[in-house]
Amino acid sequence: MNEGQGAGVAATAATSAPFRPGASVDLEFDTFPKLLKRNAAVRGTRSAMREKDYGIWQSWTWAEVAAEVRAIACGLSVLGLRRGDAVAIIGDNRPRLYWTIAAVQSLGGIPVPMYQDAVADEMKFVLDHAGVRFAVVENQEQVDKLLQVWEDFPQLELVVYDQPRGLRHYRQDFLHDMANVLAAGQKFDSENPSFYDDEVAMGVAGDTAIMLYTSGTTGQPKGVVLTHENIYLTAINAAQQEGLTERDESLAYLPLAWVGDHIFSYAQSYVTGFCVSCPESSDTVLTDLRELGPSYFFAPPPIFENILTTVMIRMEDASALKRKMFSYFMGVARRAGANILDREPVGVVDRLLYWLGGVFVYGPLKNTLGLSRVRICYTAGEAIGPDLFVFYRSIGINMKQLYGSTEASVFITIQPDGEIKPDTVGTPAPGVELKVADDGEVMFRSPGVFKEYFKNPEATAETKTPDGWVHTGDAGLIDEDGHLKIIDRLKDVGRLVDGTLFAPKYIENKLKFFSHIKEVVAFGNQQKFCTVIVNIDLEAVGNWAERGGITYSSYQELAARPQVYDLIQEEIEQMNSELAKEQNLAGSQIHRFLLLHKELDPDDGELTRTRKVRRNFVAEKYSTVIEALYGTADHCQITTEVTFEDGRKGTISADLAIRDVRTVTAGEQLAAE
Amino acid sequence: MEFISFLNLVFVAPFVDMVSFPIFFAEVVIAGVLTGIMYSLVALGFVLIFKASGVFNFAQGAMVLFAALTLVGLMELGVPVLAALLGAVAVMTVLAFAVERFMLRHLINQDDIILFMATIGLTFLIQGFGEMVWGSNVKALDIGIPSESFEVGGILLNEFDLFAAGSGAVLVAVLAVFFHYTRIGRALRAVADDHQAAMAVGIPLKTIWVTVWSVAGFVGLVAGIMWGAKSGVQFSLSLIALKALPVLILGGFTSVPGAIVGGLIIGVGEKIAEIYWGPLVGGAIENWFAYMLALVFLLFRPQGLFGERIIERV
Amino acid sequence: MTVTEVSAETAAQPNAEPEGDGAPTAAPERVFDEVLLEISGVSLSFGGVVALSDVSFDICKGEIRAIIGPNGAGKSSMLNVINGFYHPQQGTITYKGNVRKKMRPHRAAAEGIARTFQNIALFRGMSTLDNIMTGRLLKMRRGLLWQALYWGPARDEEIVHREFAEHIIDFLEIEAIRKTVVGQLPYGLQKRVELGRALAAEPELLLLDEPMAGMNVEEKEDMSRFIIDVNDEFGTTIALIEHDMSIVMDLSDRVVVLDYGRKIADGTPDQVRANPAVIEAYLGVGHG
Repeated sequence: MNEGQGAGVAATAATSAPFRPGASVDLEFDTFPKLLKRNAAVRGTRSAMREKDYGIWQSWTWAEVAAEVRAIACGLSVLGLRRGDAVAIIGDNRPRLYWTIAAVQSLGGIPVPMYQDAVADEMKFVLDHAGVRFAVVENQEQVDKLLQVWEDFPQLELVVYDQPRGLRHYRQDFLHDMANVLAAGQKFDSENPSFYDDEVAMGVAGDTAIMLYTSGTTGQPKGVVLTHENIYLTAINAAQQEGLTERDESLAYLPLAWVGDHIFSYAQSYVTGFCVSCPESSDTVLTDLRELGPSYFFAPPPIFENILTTVMIRMEDASALKRKMFSYFMGVARRAGANILDREPVGVVDRLLYWLGGVFVYGPLKNTLGLSRVRICYTAGEAIGPDLFVFYRSIGINMKQLYGSTEASVFITIQPDGEIKPDTVGTPAPGVELKVADDGEVMFRSPGVFKEYFKNPEATAETKTPDGWVHTGDAGLIDEDGHLKIIDRLKDVGRLVDGTLFAPKYIENKLKFFSHIKEVVAFGNQQKFCTVIVNIDLEAVGNWAERGGITYSSYQELAARPQVYDLIQEEIEQMNSELAKEQNLAGSQIHRFLLLHKELDPDDGELTRTRKVRRNFVAEKYSTVIEALYGTADHCQITTEVTFEDGRKGTISADLAIRDVRTVTAGEQLAAE
Repeated sequence: MEFISFLNLVFVAPFVDMVSFPIFFAEVVIAGVLTGIMYSLVALGFVLIFKASGVFNFAQGAMVLFAALTLVGLMELGVPVLAALLGAVAVMTVLAFAVERFMLRHLINQDDIILFMATIGLTFLIQGFGEMVWGSNVKALDIGIPSESFEVGGILLNEFDLFAAGSGAVLVAVLAVFFHYTRIGRALRAVADDHQAAMAVGIPLKTIWVTVWSVAGFVGLVAGIMWGAKSGVQFSLSLIALKALPVLILGGFTSVPGAIVGGLIIGVGEKIAEIYWGPLVGGAIENWFAYMLALVFLLFRPQGLFGERIIERV
Repeated sequence: MTVTEVSAETAAQPNAEPEGDGAPTAAPERVFDEVLLEISGVSLSFGGVVALSDVSFDICKGEIRAIIGPNGAGKSSMLNVINGFYHPQQGTITYKGNVRKKMRPHRAAAEGIARTFQNIALFRGMSTLDNIMTGRLLKMRRGLLWQALYWGPARDEEIVHREFAEHIIDFLEIEAIRKTVVGQLPYGLQKRVELGRALAAEPELLLLDEPMAGMNVEEKEDMSRFIIDVNDEFGTTIALIEHDMSIVMDLSDRVVVLDYGRKIADGTPDQVRANPAVIEAYLGVGHG
């Protein structure tokens, strides 16, 4: 893109986002074991880690952690661990497993955390592919799994377990109790006091820090190799943007094998010095969260949804007064909460009411959720529903979406404070270059970009260009404020015949934001233009119709009313004009639509049981309708089979009107502005 | 007109009186609280035994009388106050052993109603035995607690009443701690919850019963002293057990805090009713007010204010 | 981290004896020669109904002993005799070398016999933690006065016992229900809490009356693992009644079979399985 064109397009959208430089590597502390030594020196008496055990929180200072790591490292070395050896780490979030990561890194080994709930067969691939020599595991459960596949892996030499329970009578000589490893390590260390320090000093920023296996949707998992530099720079850049300090607190409860946990619970803690706490067990996370009240928290959307559901159920059991108070103040929060959090102007009355709500509702609520002290609350992994997102923000929780991947050492974009839009994932993190390729794919380049896929140069070459750009496989666009918006997986995105991007899910979701529209199916792949079949929302449109004096006796009748067509047409046109502003998507504006005479129904196979549209099934079933949409007629005849509530089958035939919709061209768009 | 003035008398005038003469109202409330504490003490004895053995001990009133009689009797024999107190405690403990040995042990696994009948028998036995040993005339009880009256902010207070209230409060607090935090307390709750399981974890049922009956006897002694010092030790003392019934219905049969709160509500309620509404019906509301309140409670909240659920969560 | 001396023993033995080949190897043969409890010639009847008739067998220290038999064979009666709920008309019970005609429940508990019940006898109104603490009652020694004041040594003692209870909670993986009132828990968890309460007494002999009744397969597996772990970690001798034959045969070192109140077989799982009388009792004339 040359300069002249760039100026013209900048008003609408961009293909790349503004770049902010990030930190550079501190040569003195360029590996995590070195950072650990630094923390032990500068904040030796501060808590580094906690674990709830026997009902109370036990804690370890940075100095204690450094000593533990040193002992584990020496112990592993006594057992024969050498530089470059892969060590599998399997178990729940336990301090000793986190320390093992640091210990392995100290010796120049490669930690390979694995999912603790994988069955033995699923573990085989990683154990084999990574060439694991040692495994450090939590307990008997994991030991048993390894024993099941032991014969298959001659290169797997020994297993260290943290919890001896149930393992007393295991006589295999390759099983080692962590307590003994520690003791042997301490003994070795006292005899060779310089050994550990020498080993740590040998590490450099470019060494592999960790290898994380990602389960692709197809094919075998890939081992993502990340260096100390990758992780350090990504972690510190994000930490600086968010102002993380040693006074922050976080709860480590997501799998060790997931890159997010490695950054949030390990790397950023080592970089900034904040304390990480491990829950008592996976069943007690919510209780522990409440007791701890972290300031830095991450959860994928389903967890936030579960928490909210629990709250709502409990509210229904509460007294009438409490329920009234809750719904009233939630109303206030919806009106004012998000704006107050974003520091936008809010009226004095609303401010006062919001303050009162804080005392009576939001405060206690946040406390129950364990989020009363949370300063930064990330969600990622999948799109979060706008209602859910706004709910948390409105009660004053600074929830932010981020976009990232294992290949990026997590952070690609983060929603910056004060610039939160529910439908974007924010702006690039410091040090990240971001662009949208011509085919609509989101690409990035950053210090966090992975070194390679382990023993898989083809995949590496497919994903990473020679100049360091990474294909995300996601289709997206960058809006006028430089925020990234994710549309869909690239492979789920189609093309019009002229090659224009067609993102059905994106269009459908946009239309479903209108309360009158319940279900939408968009068509357009390999067609000249886009069309949609719409299901109206019987309740919402019914109310609207009653207010307007429009009579109807059934869904079919209501959906056939011209006024209803007008209503929906208006909404589609509104979306068209929004789409027109989005460079890559302007071509997928809706040209024709119809309102279906029946609601899409799981009983008829049109929706899945979780109410997702079965696109291909619908396309086939309504092929005559779709033909008509791409024809010229203004109506079409259709007969469909339906299943009634009582299981009887019957047919409905109808004559459906088809409407043309006004679309906005780029010229009009510019003229309008 | 008649009707309106009636409404006025019932719903307006009493409240106007209360607000117009706040000091007098305060005195009424305080008098009510003091009576209430006495009720609570008696009710507490019931609750203890009911919790531990599921027995509604009709003899609790008789135990109050017997304890007071023993104390007075010993003092009349010239025993010093402190020794007489210890003696009375000892006698109540012996009584507890006897009850376990001769009554409870033989009635294990019998219906509740049988046990209840047995306690009625026990009532007459204790009364008869007490009067046989100590005589049936009214006796004055003076254990040397001062009973001077004095004024605070215009409100007339009596030292003895304060002492009674204070010792009642201390007793209740000690019992609460005892039952919630100690080995015996935990054992007692375990026995109340499930006899079989309690035996399996090694709790000797008999020891627990003796303990509980002894404590109930001790509580009875304290109640007996307070009532006896006020109105003399006489047969009517055993009738205050009847006043404890509505207290229990209000507070719940298994709840220590319930017994206390219930006692206070009834004590204060009946005093206020007597003073402000009594004249309307010619007085003596005090005698039946508590029962009426209990009846209302039975209709709307049969488990009492602090029914099972709450006490279980302690 | 410190763990007081009352804590469950968790430190493992070093793997001192390498077996040479790297393949998984079975645990060494378990040998039991010290008799902990001996039942000899016990007969029990209720009115005219004979529950047990001249039953004799022993339980050795450290073993897992199963008592099986068709419904109504007298299995539960046997456990009730052992912990003193029932007093046999004939026969003797020798426990830790002391011969006696009958046990008494609280004496049995004090001498290290703990049990669970077929129909769960928990203190339903108390929390999990309180239930387990109740199991510690016999271990609490402070005098009544200290207790009443809940002060000084009594409080320290409470803390020590609480710590022990926490080890059991950890052992049975019931942290999440520590404060939950037991009556609200699902059946499988109640069974686990009941086991926890029995363990709190640090028993030498643990009697389990159908510990897996009414459980699904997964819960049964969990419970089996806990039973093995208890036996393994604490060295507790266990006598259990169970209907699920595959579990009994897997778990136990020796099995005694009762039928109509009589002992019809006694031996290792293999011996018992091959015993014609047992096959007859189970497959023959059904009287379940």
